[in-house]
Amino acid sequence: MNRRNATLAATAATLAGAAALADFRSPRHGTQVDVTQLAAEIEAGDDHISAIDLAERIMKGDGNIRVLDLRSEAEFGEFHIPGARLTSIAALAREQLPRDETIALYSEGGGHAAQAWVLLRLRGYRKVLVLREGIYEWMSRVLEPRLAKDATAAERREFERAALLSRYFGGVPRSGVDRSELHTGYWTDVAQARPDARSTRRRGC
Amino acid sequence: MTAPLTETGALGATGELVAAPMIGIAFGWCLERAGLGYAPKLAGQFYLSDLTVFKVMFSAILTAMLGAFWLDRMGLLTLSLVSMPETLVLPQALGGVLFGVGFLVAGLCPGTSCVAAASGRLDGAGVIGGMLGGVALFHAIFPWVQRFYESTALGSVTFAEMLNVSRGMGIVLVTVVALGGFAVAGRIERARL
Repeated sequence: MNRRNATLAATAATLAGAAALADFRSPRHGTQVDVTQLAAEIEAGDDHISAIDLAERIMKGDGNIRVLDLRSEAEFGEFHIPGARLTSIAALAREQLPRDETIALYSEGGGHAAQAWVLLRLRGYRKVLVLREGIYEWMSRVLEPRLAKDATAAERREFERAALLSRYFGGVPRSGVDRSELHTGYWTDVAQARPDARSTRRRGC
Repeated sequence: MTAPLTETGALGATGELVAAPMIGIAFGWCLERAGLGYAPKLAGQFYLSDLTVFKVMFSAILTAMLGAFWLDRMGLLTLSLVSMPETLVLPQALGGVLFGVGFLVAGLCPGTSCVAAASGRLDGAGVIGGMLGGVALFHAIFPWVQRFYESTALGSVTFAEMLNVSRGMGIVLVTVVALGGFAVAGRIERARL
């Protein structure tokens, strides 16, 4: 071994030895997470994805999103979002998921998925999103989007977008319904808050 | 400013488009300088007459591993943002065997075939053609092989996590294997002279 190679080998060995001393904790799954950052993400609504946005990504064949269903096996068997995979919080505690993909979580309402979101973020996964109101949101916004008789122009535009997705996923868009059929805030997140998603008030979970 | 610059958005879309060919050219230049655009040199790996490929690859692994670890410790790189592919044991093992057979038959791998073609070697252009043909064939038969392609998935798991040791200890193990490999490779090459 010549002198230059010996120097390079000694440098590598020194740096590796120092690495063992600097990181001796066993073993690190993911990275440490700043909890204040997590709180800020939750406050800003950056932890959520809407059913319409999720449907759009699935329809476009976005290969960078992985949809996970946290409901029971029976509920999953009965109905699930196309392309979703059944899992549980216990499985997510040890399962290794690709870190470069976006992980979209949903449960029945949203609470269970929100707990899974925290778990995955603490495990160092950065691209994790929760479907705002769970499977109910998918059913009401994607499979059966509704438009009130007295809809505004913005609501009409959003309905057209949702109707297109609804037909793709085998749903039935309904127009001309009474506004009382739409619960308070039905359009709040999609139509009115769209210009600035960060100002969206957190809903669900 | 912390890396990876593409993930933090520091480069911007235009910056990424400019950076990609520059990195590609630099990579190709390094391979050519290491002599890896010359098929007999690459095939020599399998006959244990020239272990340049092994030494170049393990040098790259060591440099990247130690560099990434220490840059992360110094706050210049966020390792959790670095893309890490999934491990799928059987499909990747079969892929490795196929890759090795192709490597031996052609005397070139994907990167070095581009280098060889850029150097004006026809065998390099032939390998690139075969590679693109293989991609098209794989696309055509994907529905039939998808089940195997997605089997034995372990997720994005690191070497240290698999061995259940600390990341630092994982680095030590890889370094010991690499340095030991360099010593053995040097001895084999000298014995073959």
